[in-house]
Amino acid sequence: MTADAFIFWFLSLVAVMSGLSVVMMANPIYSALSLAMTMVSLAALFATMGAYFIAGVQVIVYAGAVMVLFVIVLMLFDLREETKAFTRGQISGAIKLAMVGFLAGLVVFVLTQGVKLMAAPDVVDAAKLPEDSSKALGLILFNRHVFGFEALGVLLLVVAVGTVALARSKGGTHAKQ
Amino acid sequence: MGQDIFEITINAVKLIVIFLLMVQAVPILAWVERRGSAFIQNRLGPNRVGPLGLMQLLADAVKFLNKEDFLPRKAVRMLFYTAPVYALIPGVIAYCAIPLGTPLQIEAFEMAGKMWGPYTFAMQGYEIGVGIVFILGVSSLAAYTILMAGWGSGNKYSLMGALRASAQIISYELALGLSIVGVIMLYGTFNLTDMVLAQQGPMTFGFMGNQVVVPWLPNWGLFYQPLGFILFFAATFAESIRLPFDLAEGEAELVAGFHTEYGGFKMLMFFIGEYAHMMIAAGLVTTFFFGGYLVPGFTPAEIREFVAQNIASTPNGASAVTSVIHLLAYFVKFAFFLWFFIHVRWTLPRFRYDQLMDLGWKTMLPWALFNTILTAVVIYVAHNFA
Repeated sequence: MTADAFIFWFLSLVAVMSGLSVVMMANPIYSALSLAMTMVSLAALFATMGAYFIAGVQVIVYAGAVMVLFVIVLMLFDLREETKAFTRGQISGAIKLAMVGFLAGLVVFVLTQGVKLMAAPDVVDAAKLPEDSSKALGLILFNRHVFGFEALGVLLLVVAVGTVALARSKGGTHAKQ
Repeated sequence: MGQDIFEITINAVKLIVIFLLMVQAVPILAWVERRGSAFIQNRLGPNRVGPLGLMQLLADAVKFLNKEDFLPRKAVRMLFYTAPVYALIPGVIAYCAIPLGTPLQIEAFEMAGKMWGPYTFAMQGYEIGVGIVFILGVSSLAAYTILMAGWGSGNKYSLMGALRASAQIISYELALGLSIVGVIMLYGTFNLTDMVLAQQGPMTFGFMGNQVVVPWLPNWGLFYQPLGFILFFAATFAESIRLPFDLAEGEAELVAGFHTEYGGFKMLMFFIGEYAHMMIAAGLVTTFFFGGYLVPGFTPAEIREFVAQNIASTPNGASAVTSVIHLLAYFVKFAFFLWFFIHVRWTLPRFRYDQLMDLGWKTMLPWALFNTILTAVVIYVAHNFA
């Protein structure tokens, strides 16, 4: 096993394990921490493929976003109630299990169908890749995909404004219980 | 890491040396902080142990190592013990990516019956193409330390301090990121070494087809991005949670914030982490705005030539002496900014929380956006209208 293969398998293992623990942990705090771990190991995987810019952005954007999630969990959830809600109840437990099975089936189906649709992969020589791919990425993003890029920006803005509007329509921080 | 065993060894040693350099700088900075604060406040500070009180640090280290290992009853064991260790890691990893001097060039030589080299060793832990993005990404992970410590301690004061700190870091990260977009546009690269090399020589820029040279000023980023410099420097104070932005500690209301429950060496590790952030901030300010390791008035090529003619005759020696000269130039600037951090801490009072949030969201963020747009317009005009 080469060093590259070892790093790949190690990082994949970390990513999968921490991704699983996001859904298996009863306490939302640990779920948030595991999610951050998943993001970091994904970024490391990007870095091993030579996509350093994506790796850096992955850490900045997603790790920062998970931070916000973490804080929201701390501030807004009643953790004792959440833990109970996740672990109690046989009927709802059975429904949750069925949902997990359904999701797993869906994932397997999409993967098998997706593999059939994929074209034969181009073999990319890692040595021929440019050292700094961020310039090429920027050119593609702002030339070929500029509409999608801007539309996504507008969508995010709409979400942000909508959140504030919804929160304020219910009284904001001064809401009565 | 390298092509052969020699290069790999040297690169590994380099990483260890930079880590030790950061850790060893902490006691000296702590000494400067104590003595400096004492002189600012018109007293003497620790001056009993050893010459100028320097041995106080050694005594402190022994004291820290011998303190009782204490776990609060309601603490979450794993988070409580992981947090201090984790406080060190992002800072050190990020600092390793900052260039400290001109690369050391070693010509091919024979050792143990085999030809080795030629080699080029960058004067930094590792060179990364997307330097800034990497440093911002890694150092943003440091916020998790605070949350882990705050939650893991099982203490209300700790949790309050952690929440304050994380809200502050998230708010100021935006201003921090935006304030260097102007710098990135100016140099047209993410690579820190390329940025440093773009600041060589006297101030030179092309404006509307004319070449303007100002011979009495160095070509430093400060003169192109004064607003960016102020915003960036202020945001780094908030990011490293030092006064005037250390609401997270707020002794008067929160005991000590997220590290209330930590004592002994665990506390010291948080301390080192805080200083590591100061060092990254000082290193980045030096690199972006003050020419990094460059000596003002001389380009690296000129210094190299001077050294080759007057000091060291062999190419290896000339390269080594040049690197050392630039390393010293870097550390002079670096030390100045570290001193500035300490001086500000003992000069300014702490903000109120609403003032802190107002400054971050309503003052620094709009000015950073303005700086970005202004820089873009000026660059466009300077390049396209002749």
